[in-house]
Amino acid sequence: MNYAIGVFAVLVAVISQVAIMPAFSIFGVQPNLVIVLLVAWMVVRGRQEALVLIPIAGFTMGLLDSQPLGLAMLALAPLILMTVFRELRLVDSDILPAIALTMAATVVYEYTIMVTLVLRGESVTWLASVTSVLVPAAIANALLLIPVYWLIRIFSLGLRQRPAFG
Amino acid sequence: MQVRTRTWFGFVVLASVLFLAASRVAFLDPLENAALSVAAPIESGLRSTTRPVADFINNITDINRLSNENASLREENELLTAENARLTEAEQELRDLQGFLALRGIREGDAFVQADVFATDPSNTLQVIAINRGSNDGIAERMLVLSPQGSVVGTVSRVLDSAAWVTLVTDQTSAISALIQESRVQGVVAGSADGTLNMEFVEETADVKEGDLVLTSGLGGDHPSGELIGSVIEVDRAPQQLFQEVRVQPLADFTRLETVLILSSFVAQDPEPTTP
Repeated sequence: MNYAIGVFAVLVAVISQVAIMPAFSIFGVQPNLVIVLLVAWMVVRGRQEALVLIPIAGFTMGLLDSQPLGLAMLALAPLILMTVFRELRLVDSDILPAIALTMAATVVYEYTIMVTLVLRGESVTWLASVTSVLVPAAIANALLLIPVYWLIRIFSLGLRQRPAFG
Repeated sequence: MQVRTRTWFGFVVLASVLFLAASRVAFLDPLENAALSVAAPIESGLRSTTRPVADFINNITDINRLSNENASLREENELLTAENARLTEAEQELRDLQGFLALRGIREGDAFVQADVFATDPSNTLQVIAINRGSNDGIAERMLVLSPQGSVVGTVSRVLDSAAWVTLVTDQTSAISALIQESRVQGVVAGSADGTLNMEFVEETADVKEGDLVLTSGLGGDHPSGELIGSVIEVDRAPQQLFQEVRVQPLADFTRLETVLILSSFVAQDPEPTTP
């Protein structure tokens, strides 16, 4: 059941990302609701569910974005490795590692897209991309993470308190 | 790191690479067509429903910028009103001398396909929008896309059956041969990572000034000539530089595009094959 809710949340996030998020720009960039949702879900709900949701999100995003199918999945794949950091519990807080992971995942995602552009023979201005895309996008996603994290946390508490049938 | 995590990571990367390989030969296009056919109406609905909310929030956060913009627009309005008066006179003269009605029919030979914008690529690295017309409607790659008012928006970069992706002129991979309308100075209008437009390869001595209109030159055969791209908003002549830095403002507001026109009557010419 939790997986079904997670998949539904991912689908809503992907559609919202391509349809709505471009209208809500922060620092001149659009926040990536999919990355934010995956990180928040990983931190609140645990790595088991996140490991399933990450490839599903990548595949779905690939179906609806302008890039070849598989690229979004590849760009989100490093999040799988990041689930390990969630388990390490380096600091006594959930939100701080979540912010760090969100920023790292954003940089990796945008960087993967840029590398594939270069591999396809397009010219990319690296320094300008870092200052005008990567850094603002990482900050914008970190800001969006805070409300998304609390929403999932509240929702997750409700899920745990629900009485079992039978 | 747990073996299971690494294995799962390897599996997902492998699956991604397989999907990428399959995409290269258009093996998965039917699946993408089906997904976009289902998602496009939902995305269109969401876009139009949330637009007023987005406008409201953006207006609150942009209050300072809007205030400055309002002041400069007021000045611009005054200038344009004066210019409009002069142009009205000039138009009257033109009508008398050359027959204005004949000029108005200049685009009669052009065919357009109207399309709605329903999505934007999620990556900030790319400036790409999705439109609800595809190969079924006669859309092909490299066709020029215009705003409803007639200024250049971008080029069709990927076509599916009932949808297509348009790379905006502001995308960092976009480059269009262009010229300044008044002085006929040639250059290349290129996008950038931060979404601004620059006219490159404009010689240091060339006559370029703020407010000049920038049009497609048609050089190279990729685009028709004479299509309006934007206007010059900044010219930087650095000493001892071969070229000027010319910043161009697109006329259309790409963040608010809802409808576009695809110029379907112009077919981009393929470059001549080089003979050994």
